[in-house]
Amino acid sequence: MLCQSCKKNEATTHIKRVVNGRIEEYDLCPECAKKMGYTSLFSNFESEWNSLLGSFFGGGLPSRTSATRCKSCGASFSEIAKRGMVGCPDCYETFYEELLPSIKKIHGNTRHNGKFPSSSGRQLAIVNELESMQEQLNEAIARQEFEKAAELRDKINELKGESKNG
Amino acid sequence: MAEKWYERSGEHGSVVISSRIRLARNLKSYPFPNRASLEQKREIALRVKKAIEESNSTLAGSFSFISMEELTQLQAVSLVEKHLISPEFASDRKGRYLMLSEDEAISIMINEEDHIRIQVLGSGLSLNELYNTANNIDTLLDDALGFAFNEKLGYLTQCPTNLGTGMRASLMLHLPATEKNRAIARIAGNLSKLGMELRGTFGEGSDVKGSLYQMSNQITLGISEHTAIENLKNIASQMIEQEEKSLEELSKTLEMQDIIFRSAAVLKSARLMTNDEAMKLLSNVRAGMVTGLIESKDYSLLNRMSEQIQPATLMTSNNREMTPQERDSARAELLRRELKELF
Ligand SMILES: [Zn+2]
Ligand SMILES: [Zn+2]
Repeated sequence: MLCQSCKKNEATTHIKRVVNGRIEEYDLCPECAKKMGYTSLFSNFESEWNSLLGSFFGGGLPSRTSATRCKSCGASFSEIAKRGMVGCPDCYETFYEELLPSIKKIHGNTRHNGKFPSSSGRQLAIVNELESMQEQLNEAIARQEFEKAAELRDKINELKGESKNG
Repeated sequence: MAEKWYERSGEHGSVVISSRIRLARNLKSYPFPNRASLEQKREIALRVKKAIEESNSTLAGSFSFISMEELTQLQAVSLVEKHLISPEFASDRKGRYLMLSEDEAISIMINEEDHIRIQVLGSGLSLNELYNTANNIDTLLDDALGFAFNEKLGYLTQCPTNLGTGMRASLMLHLPATEKNRAIARIAGNLSKLGMELRGTFGEGSDVKGSLYQMSNQITLGISEHTAIENLKNIASQMIEQEEKSLEELSKTLEMQDIIFRSAAVLKSARLMTNDEAMKLLSNVRAGMVTGLIESKDYSLLNRMSEQIQPATLMTSNNREMTPQERDSARAELLRRELKELF
């Protein structure tokens, strides 16, 4: 399908936006989609992801993946690539190798840094919270906000205690 | 009726209209929405509802639970206009549910792109406070439901663009002077190198509506929530300073003064007004307030107006479908009435 805006390039993104009290749908090429700022508050990077997977796909699919299906949801990698959507949390284990290049392209990183849910084990959560608080402590000191720094130091000590006991 | 979030004034309200934090989360033991059955989606929604209601947090009482299928198209579009849900969520409403706080500051979209999208909105520059609220809801829901998480990839999401923290932090900025100086493209280019994004919000055509721009973090994997928010705040404070300075300069010109006072006059007397025109005039009046040419600093009134004049919101509050001309008339009347005392 051709892009509805420039009528030249291949449309890769289906977008919806509200204009004059109505929902309008367009098929756009990545360039026009970007130009039109096609979302309001809700960023949606599906188009980039689709084209990333598309080009990855074009280079020939590793033979293993076309036959392999996720044990939990039944998705194959080609289905994931076609929809631009992963099937279930376990797909990330099953197709880790296949997904990694795209993930690296999108984020430039492949390792999480940030909140750990307590369900992943309190120990892990504490380690991560400690890192984040240490970061905040350094910033507070740099800004000479000593009261805040003292508060953070106490919390860090408290967490360290909990970590030993846990 | 409870006071809505946009009726409160916020820090740096001259330039920052609103702040938003959004967290993408999924339950461990269900397929993502693109492969989940309607039955599974319903089950997820009821579990989220129960978790909120049974939490001892003060939040519980203030939420309403909405099955999107039961809304009219108009009501759904109005929620999009108020930035509470995405256009996608409003157009295909089957299997989708919404939990909405009374002040409309917190919305939880269920079965949008992910099982759960926690969104917290606030006026002015308020990312830290909003994150704390979102973080508390996240912890509460995680304890009850168990979110899909992987040590390497962080929170697991249907689209890999949200992996890691699953957090999108954004600011809605009013940048008329920066725009006039043609500096937007350059700033947007620099921001994208820093993993951030600046984009316009669009009206009917491809023109940016009311000089409103949205700035947000683009990368979610490998960067902590705290750092992403600090980066955004640092850049924002530079942009606020620059915008206020440029606007100050601009307001010394007779042309700009004319534009501002003309806009105020039209808002006070017009009998028909399109949405795009109203957004532009409100933007000019805001510039007048920032520079002191217009004495009032009631930015929250302008924010409230920008919400209430949107087509579907206007029709929803009038309880009926209206022709474009009827809307333009009702919009003009609303603005005349509400802004009468202002200048
Ligand atoms: Zn195009
Ligand atoms: Zn799967």
